[in-house]
Amino acid sequence: MRIFDLALKDLSQMFRDKRSLLFLVVMPIVFTFFMGFAYKNVGGDPNVDNRLPLAVINPEPDAVLNKALVTRLESSDSIRIESMNEMDAMDTFHKGGVAGVLIIPSGFSDQVSAGNEAQLTLIADPTSASGQSLYQLLRVPISQLMSAVEISRETTDILGKADSSAEQSAAFDLAWDKWTQASKISLVKMEQAVAEESSDWTGGNPYNQSSPGILVQFAIFGLVTSAQILVQEKKTRTLQRLITTAMKPWEIVAGHMLAMFTVTFLQTAMLVVFGQWVLSVDYLREPIGVLLVAVTLGLWVSSMGLLIGVIAMDEQQVILYSMIAMFLFSAMGGTWFPLETTGGAFAAIGKVMPSTWAMTGLQNILIRGLGIESVWMAVGLLAAYALFFFVLAVWRFKKIEV
Amino acid sequence: MSFAVEVNHLKKSFGDFQAVQDANFFAASGEVLSLLGPNGAGKSTTISMLSGLLAPTSGDACIMGHSIIKEPEHAKASLGVVPQDIALYPDLSARENLVFWGKMYGLRGTVLKSRVDEVLEVIGLSDRQKDHVGKFSGGMKRRVNIGAALLHKPDVVIMDEPTVGIDPQSRRHILNNVKELNQLGMTVLYTTHYMEEAAELSHHIAIMDKGRIIAYGTHDELIKMVGEQTRIDLTLNTEAEKILSAWQKTEGVSKIDSADGKITALVDDSNRVLPRLFDAASKANVRITSVDIQEPNLETVFLHLTGRALRD
Repeated sequence: MRIFDLALKDLSQMFRDKRSLLFLVVMPIVFTFFMGFAYKNVGGDPNVDNRLPLAVINPEPDAVLNKALVTRLESSDSIRIESMNEMDAMDTFHKGGVAGVLIIPSGFSDQVSAGNEAQLTLIADPTSASGQSLYQLLRVPISQLMSAVEISRETTDILGKADSSAEQSAAFDLAWDKWTQASKISLVKMEQAVAEESSDWTGGNPYNQSSPGILVQFAIFGLVTSAQILVQEKKTRTLQRLITTAMKPWEIVAGHMLAMFTVTFLQTAMLVVFGQWVLSVDYLREPIGVLLVAVTLGLWVSSMGLLIGVIAMDEQQVILYSMIAMFLFSAMGGTWFPLETTGGAFAAIGKVMPSTWAMTGLQNILIRGLGIESVWMAVGLLAAYALFFFVLAVWRFKKIEV
Repeated sequence: MSFAVEVNHLKKSFGDFQAVQDANFFAASGEVLSLLGPNGAGKSTTISMLSGLLAPTSGDACIMGHSIIKEPEHAKASLGVVPQDIALYPDLSARENLVFWGKMYGLRGTVLKSRVDEVLEVIGLSDRQKDHVGKFSGGMKRRVNIGAALLHKPDVVIMDEPTVGIDPQSRRHILNNVKELNQLGMTVLYTTHYMEEAAELSHHIAIMDKGRIIAYGTHDELIKMVGEQTRIDLTLNTEAEKILSAWQKTEGVSKIDSADGKITALVDDSNRVLPRLFDAASKANVRITSVDIQEPNLETVFLHLTGRALRD
């Protein structure tokens, strides 16, 4: 209960401060617009094809199944097919010209029609968002193709032996069963490879990058406010008095963290609402996923801010430590620009940043059009970071001598 | 006799510096115990350990029977601490501060409300309860600072130099508060470097110097340590060194010390010794510009025990 009382006191103090409100409400909205316009000017050409480019190595383009598959993929809203030979495809992939390479083996159509095993191969970077997206996007049409083959084969067999209605019904049931089974079978083997990703995929709306970018960035800016809470408590000597009460150290840290989490979460919620209704950024396409990312993002930022507050001796140190963390996490976490547009080393370092995972979670929903399953890893990692920083803050807090 | 506060061989070191060395003292339930000593004597460090702000290097202490090391939460639950510095939120009103601290001490609902009202009455700020603490005078802040520690009716109240830097009126108010709290049955551990405060308030006094408890007893017991000796403060028209060695050898002078241009002497009988001091000064061509004679008091005790004045 005292944790909530402490948090309420912090919130009451923060909401009385007009400057805090300006920073928490007005600045993020202004910056969202600013960054959105910047992206619109740089990459907002309506003639640009934003579909994921996929190189297809198709040695028998006239074979029935090859033709059916490629035709189906070409009609996709998410994938842009580029037919190439193997050497050009791999070269283009490694230069970042395509997000992946799909290899259709020789004799694929005949083998599958005869009921033999023939495996398609997708070469892509499984750790990249585009690689993961390609894998997901290819699964459905390929599964459907395979199932269709099975249905036709089985139906032919049955009709060749009998024509009674009972046996036709059995054939129908069997066909449905094959549809189900087909979707469970991994028909695409994914090979690991790393490509330079250079395309500008913002899903057609520049605010799909700037809105979550500003959202995460301003959450990170909360580090200062979070750290200031403890430093102010030290400065006014109220921390001294708090320690003399029967509150345990973890309760004091948790109380302050709850206040900071509430502020960060409210700010994030406000930016989500603003993005959804004003900027047409479709956060509500996957509301639970966005909520989970927002919660874990708030927990991470508030726990880390408090760790800075515990370590810092005064306000100058809070500013210094927070600025370092803010620039590091904002820049390397992909909040200023998509990590896909950066070099390999930059992107690789970015992958250990909690902010990167917050951005990945939101971009998986907003730009890549993926479902809730695409944010689990981001949410798990952000929660783990939050727990780590909280434990560290409590441990360090116990050593404070005031 | 049950002890509200028991301090056993408490030590605190900061690197090589020993701030508190083997402190031992006790405060019986319902008494006022003063820790008296000059700045830097180790008083604040001692009570910081009792309050849970500093971890002892060794030794232990019990508050209402609870070890500050083994059961810190239980020990703290019996404590109300009035820090030396103002420990309040300046952007909250006096009432908001008291409500918040009451909650931190576990009070809720009507109990909290009535205790806040009572404390505001006790500290004499009921009419200013809605004003922000940041707008208060130093004395008013001190009173709220004390009030915040009394909300949960603690068994033991620790007050760390609560009258430092305030006007005489607020000081008198605070001293009266201490007496009233004691009359309500609270044990008060009071640190000060004002010997007249310790003399006025305390049942027992522990005198600290350089991290050690150098004397412990009632006011009268401590005064008896210096017998019938009288303290004489003298100021000169020149440096003390010109006459100090001559006065040290004067018959009837047991101790003599100089600081800040003032010489303090402990003498057996001021009527007989004073003419000898004037005589020696004349021979050394030194003029005495002021003389202040004081009957034995805690200042005299400190001088007797340490060879230095309490103000040093």
